[in-house]
Amino acid sequence: MRTAVRFPARVSLEQILDGLARDPDFKQMVTRWERIPPRRASYADYPAWLDGRISASLRRRGILSLYSHQADALESTHAKKHTVVVTPTASGKTLCYDLPVIDAIAKDPTARALYIFPTKALAQDQLAELERLAKDVDIDLKTYTYDGDTPPAVRAAIRSAGHVVITNPDMLHTGILPHHTKWVKLFENLRFVVLDELHTYRGVFGSNVANVLRRLRRICEFYGSHPTFICTSATIANPEELARRHVEEDVVVIDRNGAPRGEKVLVFVNPPVVNQSLGIRKSALFTGRDIAATLLASGVQTIAFARSRVETELLLTYLRSRFPQPQWPQDLIRGYRGGYLPSERRAIESGLRDGSVRGVVSTNALELGIDIGALQAAVLLGYPGTIASTWQQMGRAGRREDLSAAFLVATSSPIDQYVVQHPGYVLDRSPEAGLVNPDNLHVLVHHLKCAAFEIPFETRERFGTEDTPGVLAYLDEQGVLHESGGKYHWSDQAFPAETTSLRTATNDNVVIVDTTGPAPRTIGSEHHDGKARVIGEIDRFAAQVLLHEQAIYLHESKQFQVERLDWDNAKAYVREVKVDYYTQAELAVRIRVIDEFDRRATQRGFDLAHGEVLVSTLTTIYKKLTMYTHENVGWGKIHLPELELQTTSFWCSLPERAVAGWPKERVEVALAGLGNLLHGLAPLLLMCAPHDLGLAVEVRSPHTERPTIYLFDMTPGGIGFSERLFKSTDVLLDRAREHLDSCGCGTGCPSCVGPAYALGNDVREAVADLLSLRR
Amino acid sequence: MNDLRSRIAAIVERDRAQQPSRPGESGGTGRNPLYATVDPPASGRYPVARGPSASAAVPPAFPFEVREQRIALDDLGLEIVGRGACDPLLIAHLGLKGASPERWQDVLFLDTETTGLSGGTGTYIFLIGVAHFAGNELLLRQHMLLDLGAEKEFIEQLKAEIEPFRACASYNGKAFDLPIIRTRFVMAIRSDLTVDDSHLDLLHPARRLWSNRFGSTTLRQLEESVLDEGRTADIPGWLIPDAYFHYLRKRDPAIIAPVLEHNARDVISLVRITDRVARAVTAARGGRAPDHAPAAFALARGFERTGETDAAFACYESAYCDGDNALRAKLALAFARLLERRGDVERALRMMETLVALGLGSERWREQAESRIRRLSKKRWRKLATAS
Repeated sequence: MRTAVRFPARVSLEQILDGLARDPDFKQMVTRWERIPPRRASYADYPAWLDGRISASLRRRGILSLYSHQADALESTHAKKHTVVVTPTASGKTLCYDLPVIDAIAKDPTARALYIFPTKALAQDQLAELERLAKDVDIDLKTYTYDGDTPPAVRAAIRSAGHVVITNPDMLHTGILPHHTKWVKLFENLRFVVLDELHTYRGVFGSNVANVLRRLRRICEFYGSHPTFICTSATIANPEELARRHVEEDVVVIDRNGAPRGEKVLVFVNPPVVNQSLGIRKSALFTGRDIAATLLASGVQTIAFARSRVETELLLTYLRSRFPQPQWPQDLIRGYRGGYLPSERRAIESGLRDGSVRGVVSTNALELGIDIGALQAAVLLGYPGTIASTWQQMGRAGRREDLSAAFLVATSSPIDQYVVQHPGYVLDRSPEAGLVNPDNLHVLVHHLKCAAFEIPFETRERFGTEDTPGVLAYLDEQGVLHESGGKYHWSDQAFPAETTSLRTATNDNVVIVDTTGPAPRTIGSEHHDGKARVIGEIDRFAAQVLLHEQAIYLHESKQFQVERLDWDNAKAYVREVKVDYYTQAELAVRIRVIDEFDRRATQRGFDLAHGEVLVSTLTTIYKKLTMYTHENVGWGKIHLPELELQTTSFWCSLPERAVAGWPKERVEVALAGLGNLLHGLAPLLLMCAPHDLGLAVEVRSPHTERPTIYLFDMTPGGIGFSERLFKSTDVLLDRAREHLDSCGCGTGCPSCVGPAYALGNDVREAVADLLSLRR
Repeated sequence: MNDLRSRIAAIVERDRAQQPSRPGESGGTGRNPLYATVDPPASGRYPVARGPSASAAVPPAFPFEVREQRIALDDLGLEIVGRGACDPLLIAHLGLKGASPERWQDVLFLDTETTGLSGGTGTYIFLIGVAHFAGNELLLRQHMLLDLGAEKEFIEQLKAEIEPFRACASYNGKAFDLPIIRTRFVMAIRSDLTVDDSHLDLLHPARRLWSNRFGSTTLRQLEESVLDEGRTADIPGWLIPDAYFHYLRKRDPAIIAPVLEHNARDVISLVRITDRVARAVTAARGGRAPDHAPAAFALARGFERTGETDAAFACYESAYCDGDNALRAKLALAFARLLERRGDVERALRMMETLVALGLGSERWREQAESRIRRLSKKRWRKLATAS
């Protein structure tokens, strides 16, 4: 037996919260102190059809009945209806799919199931869970993960004997579907497909996954199986729509949570402003670590979420120095990064249980359903980007009976500031929608080729778009397909799945090569004695701004200078440097409207539209600006070709009268500021990152002939952002007004319309004038 | 519609730009112009039937065709393979696991030409050459799929062709031909392959015998080094898929003729190489181990596996005499065991002691060698004691 860890002042969480609530310095930072009352469980009996061995073994484990949502999910899947379960973290979602699958295999050992998880780590976790369950139930259930790490020697056995195959979309795409003839047993007998964490299949990745699923269903049809899809999702605005886009049939939504919950306190914390003129606040990292240290010192088991690996390390180092050995035990605080092995996680988990581990510092790797046991408090350093992630991270704290607490500490970014000043945005029902566009032509054509490789296309077959015959005929003409005997056959040497990544829309990325290694022979040449390493890749549109020659590129808080940009071969060679300036490229953006899909006016007098556009971007010069004072200390020319992006855009133009009599400069400043504000807040509606959207403003647009702001989809062809923005512009404008009203800066800061020192001192006022328009 | 086309065109073009270019490929069309410049094969030793008879760009009346040629065994220079009964032990040396066929006539030699090298369900077999012995002749049949749409019938016919045979033989078929045939069987007729487990993949015995000597053991290399008959005009393997795609569009028999020739040569060389492997095995059994020490060593191990101790002994001895010290160390433990079994403890001991004294081998090997020396010494003393 381990010696119990002794804490000098063991105080209950209740007492700490009381203390914080009374502390005037802390109180000043709090924008909302929300108490969520406990909720009782709602139970349901095991369904009568469930194999007796399963219910018996669950009863032995002390699970005497199911939560109501689990029972609902079982009934729905038993009736072979596609189902999506939308309930919070730790509500027993796993049983919603494990039980139907185990039941099916218990009754028919030839039955098969395919589990798809977004990451490998999650797959490992679920494997262990399912194996435990199957062992308890005492049925012969062979479960395997099949991914890039699976040794070739065991692959054949998995293909023929695995009852449940656990994989990820990427492996399904390149490793399973193109080789479906090796998986005859699986596809002939496939009864269930489990899609866990459905809300992560959105955007470009989701659009690709939706097409991979089209291919999967096509192959199932070839082998005569019709699997039932069981999805789980975090709370989003449109779970049914998202599930339907993936499954392409009716889906039953189960969102009435039957799991109990203890009382919970949520605290929204906004660090104080330290520089009024620049609108800079005390760092979220420092504020958050103080909260975490206070909790840990009182013996409250706490998890802290940082937003990058570097922040994780910083926080860990700091907290460990606060609790030094030998008076505190080693491993009191553990770091957790993505890519930890299940055994390492088990060690943390058991440490938490026996009290030898008191705190965990994590990147957002833990956000996705990985269970390391429940803690009492969570500290989020920065808004995690989406409401779904916020609830998932906050949900890491909270046992089923006891009081728990979660602190959200905001950074200075526009979204963070909006969220912390309007906590209702998180606390009320989610307005964020998970969007996919499986019919994006770029995405679709790739997958249509993969599908043709897998099984020849019937000439009249439909794959997503109504244009399928046109696409097929075109590919035939190009020699990629060959029509014969009423079918289109793959007729190319290439293996199409390998030329397509699911995580990006195009493979047209610039790779960043670090040549800093010890004494490279020739800088920038392809032969640097093997020391060069790839540190990242970014798409060409970002590359022209971030990776032009001489640019200072930031990566994991280190500065790199671009020494050579090989534009044709998409490689940027960088070297680590230490300088006190940063670079900023001037980007000229031109927009040509190709097709206007829809248009309407708002009650504010704005004219709104969305449609297809051609965006041309050109960088010509860059400036060197000092790190803290933003002084211009030099410039240089950039020699790069113009880039074009055909995509979908939302645009919003102002009535002439709104700016009547304004000097041209003021109109420019106001448009730029409003553009920044809308661009910063748009992710609140879209579940995307700010860089997924492009921004352009025109004082007099050739298309609308008025001052116009464009927000366009950075994915070629678009994945649905612009239509959503068009439909929800009123919400976006309301949020923008609220945010501008409540922003603490005087003249404009990076958290709202942009920094006044860069745009002009009247920027905030000018934007406010625009937004208070009435018809 | 035009708009759609231009957009897809842009997408497809971009993909193509990202595929690594193959040697000699020109950009633009994506099709290789080289096939046109490949010389028609000089008519070799073996008669090749005239190419497909359909006229240009018109789909053929029959979606597949079979070309047959018979070649006298004497013309092939065969000594063992195809003559007399099948020796099960010999077949084991050729790489077969499981029951041996009784007659050479029960073995089907095969080689496939495919529309790609990456495998997967989108790679078709468009040509398969199969050969078996019939009387004093080798009967070579080439099945050619003239239209991808007729794959079902093509595979059905192929299945009927393969089914009567107890075993098949190939060159690298374990990794390449058979998985693709298996895939096509599922795709076209949802059927399993009958010869799955009884398969002689000659790549492996050939590699054991010759890789040390000739470096590469591609079929072409062996034709040159072992059969002493290099190919002059031959279509390179990586051009074959494109030649076929081009043929599908143009229907010009001249495009596909080099591929047919290539395939015929592959099958015939496979048969002849099989015979050479069999000859080496038979010669070693007769006491004539190969001069080349690594080959003798490889055969010795083969003979140990089949339990032919005397032949193994002869090969070890030959390899030990001809080999360098590194090879000697490699075979010493096994060779010493055979010497010991023959009662020649003295020689085994002397050999091991010499090698250890030379400081050969890895540390682990020396440990094993020393423990063997101890055991052998004890045995010698016991022997001397009982003798006295």
